[in-house]
Amino acid sequence: MPEPLGIHEHGYTCREIVDLAAEYVEGTLTANESTLFELHLNFCDGCLTFIDQIRDTARLAAHVAEHELPEPLRADLLQAFRDWTRA
Amino acid sequence: MTGADTEARVAGDDSALVARLRDGDERAFEEVVRSFYPSMLAVARGYTRTHAVADEVVQEAWVGVIKGLNRFEGRSSLRTWVLQIVANIARTRAVREARSVPFSTFDLDADQGEPAVEPERFRGPDDPYPGHWRSYPTDWRTLPEQRLVSTETLELVKHAIEELPESQKIVITLRDVVGCSAVEVCDALGVTAENQRVLLHRARARVRARLERHLDA
Repeated sequence: MPEPLGIHEHGYTCREIVDLAAEYVEGTLTANESTLFELHLNFCDGCLTFIDQIRDTARLAAHVAEHELPEPLRADLLQAFRDWTRA
Repeated sequence: MTGADTEARVAGDDSALVARLRDGDERAFEEVVRSFYPSMLAVARGYTRTHAVADEVVQEAWVGVIKGLNRFEGRSSLRTWVLQIVANIARTRAVREARSVPFSTFDLDADQGEPAVEPERFRGPDDPYPGHWRSYPTDWRTLPEQRLVSTETLELVKHAIEELPESQKIVITLRDVVGCSAVEVCDALGVTAENQRVLLHRARARVRARLERHLDA
């Protein structure tokens, strides 16, 4: 791993970047915070990788199979809907 | 597309859908039942002790939705409104079962104190570069895609989500598994944007840590 490059001049430490990662990914940092955040990423492959990992985690979660509607529940609910329509 | 356009589009889609439901369109009803089921189940399971009770909550919620369909005013998306009904019924059940309810103040405070990454991963105050990584995380994008999106990895993600504290589990399931927006989750569960984000962050951080142990092995 290379020695950290000029981290002191670039506002956030890696530890702070990790804590702010959610706000960055969600786009809720202020313009100024965002600039400092990206400045850090320009100099730090570790944090860049961490952000990618958070994004990959969200992407993988989207691949997790969802629960399918059980057939008896579908039939019951459809019946309830029919009863309501006819009432 | 701007946020306002998206909202108008969603509301537009919903009003046509709601009109079909009010007309007794069974196909529309089945479509909605099927597509809302995973998010409804996630909310119900978050508040209840057993899967059987969660199933009852989902069923009860649908009865409430059907009865209330004519009162739906379209101030939120249909799904948000349905999830609010699920959350209300599930909370009532949780209180009756004397179960602690997720999203209480205590629950959130406990979450806030948890670091996203273990502090030992960073250099200490005496290091010339305090707060910097001791060693970088591994770049998963150098892994073959088949390894990253393998059945084994997805099973691990699923288990990691199941083991999360309830409020984190509900939020990550709704946001990342089901694909709800942040606004939908806040409205459905009655949590602030800040709390929603903290819970999502903690949840993703824990799942990421599990993935890291698995993929680095």
